[in-house]
Amino acid sequence: MAYVATRGGERAIDQAERLYRSLMGDIDAQRVAEIEAALPLLIDRLMGESSLYAPELAALALAQSGGDLYEAILLMRAWRTTQPRLQVAEPVQQGQTFTHRRISAAFKDIPGGQILGPTLDYSHRLLETGVLGGAPYRPDPVEPAARPAPARHPSLAEWQKAQGLVHDVQTEPVDKDKIPDLTREPLLFPAKRAHSLQSLARADTGGVLALGYSAMRGYGNAHPTVNELRLSEADLRVRHPRGTVFSAGRVRTSQAEVVTTKGKGALQVGFCATFGWNEMKCIAGATLDLNAPGAAKNSPVNEEFFLYHTEPVEASGFCIHFKLPHYVTFQSALDNLRAAKAKAEAPAKEEADA
Amino acid sequence: MTDGMSHEDVLGTLARMEAARIKPLAEAVLPQLGAVEVIHSRTGLVMCPMRDTVQGTDFHLGEVLVAEAHVTLKDHGVEGYGMVTGRDLEQAMAMALIDGALAASINVDTLTAAIRTEQARQAEEDRETLRRIEATRVDMETF
Repeated sequence: MAYVATRGGERAIDQAERLYRSLMGDIDAQRVAEIEAALPLLIDRLMGESSLYAPELAALALAQSGGDLYEAILLMRAWRTTQPRLQVAEPVQQGQTFTHRRISAAFKDIPGGQILGPTLDYSHRLLETGVLGGAPYRPDPVEPAARPAPARHPSLAEWQKAQGLVHDVQTEPVDKDKIPDLTREPLLFPAKRAHSLQSLARADTGGVLALGYSAMRGYGNAHPTVNELRLSEADLRVRHPRGTVFSAGRVRTSQAEVVTTKGKGALQVGFCATFGWNEMKCIAGATLDLNAPGAAKNSPVNEEFFLYHTEPVEASGFCIHFKLPHYVTFQSALDNLRAAKAKAEAPAKEEADA
Repeated sequence: MTDGMSHEDVLGTLARMEAARIKPLAEAVLPQLGAVEVIHSRTGLVMCPMRDTVQGTDFHLGEVLVAEAHVTLKDHGVEGYGMVTGRDLEQAMAMALIDGALAASINVDTLTAAIRTEQARQAEEDRETLRRIEATRVDMETF
């Protein structure tokens, strides 16, 4: 019966879509370019959650969806399926990235020093209402240092391993073409670490923040301190048919390590990374990674709990499906409710009649 | 072949070259290439793994949209290859034609000079970016 209702509503559905799209109006290349230029951090967040690094397409998805991030992710992930995978790049290694920001809240003096990079961490947040009155807002220009920063900084975790502060876990190297891939195989539990980190890399920022925050507030096993937070550009190192490995361009990446001193003789470290510059997600994700070992079933820091519930397409899709016609199942439940009610009332009526 | 530049450096410099600069360079060399057979001219995805700093596990960050071109210069029996981030097929093709031209030893001096100039421009761009980044260095002892 639900299908009959849908078929009968074709005109309404068509007009509803037109009404939705009229909210955004005409979309042209200029609007897409302006979105890409004006909202780089939203583009970054979308690319991370879409698992697709394509700034121009992300801007187009935002233009089409009117800024509804879940719609935009769906557009990006759907478009991705139209493209062939040409190869798997060489793994990005932290010490090789072109670093823009690198800080530690746990250690003051870290090899390579602390670089704030682009951040509002220590700034007042004021709405520039003058813009609305016609006065353009022009940020003060950066005053460059005389010397350039080093492009590459060593991995802090490597230094800590050398100091004996962090256990040096020896992992068997895996051929890059055999790295477990969630886009081609299901997420099963206990999850492979590669699946877990890939899942966090493409997870919903808001969902990861909510569950990570619950751990920070005390619903987890360990309180995090940021060991290292890094925003970088990483070379996409691909292979030429003659075998030469070269950079086909750079992509923006974020990485966070968080630590706790709770442990057996060494710092315990959690890790998370994603496409784009999205440090909130990485800190929260690393907190979940830190708290996951030994977490109780059904706790927010249990791996199965947080990985399943922060997948943006599945979560948003499941949520919005509840607004679609459920008349048959709901009517059936209602019939049961009425029958139960009638059954409960029947003895009382019989007693009254007697 | 390219005056001491490695194949990796040549390819990396070409891939990062803006479309507006690499296309004229390829067009200039095109008449000397003879018959060009296009094996691939397409967009596609490159999966980008990363190494976890805690346990050393390689995992996938996600896929990157790229444009790829793969050609054969039939008169010279060599191949050329280009891959750039984004979806500009002409940019990837320009890279592939220049790579093929160098493999066939065509216009090597001119192309090498152009690539060296571009390499210096990119290095200067990075240097300026890093000077701006260095301006944000802090000493937490006195912060």
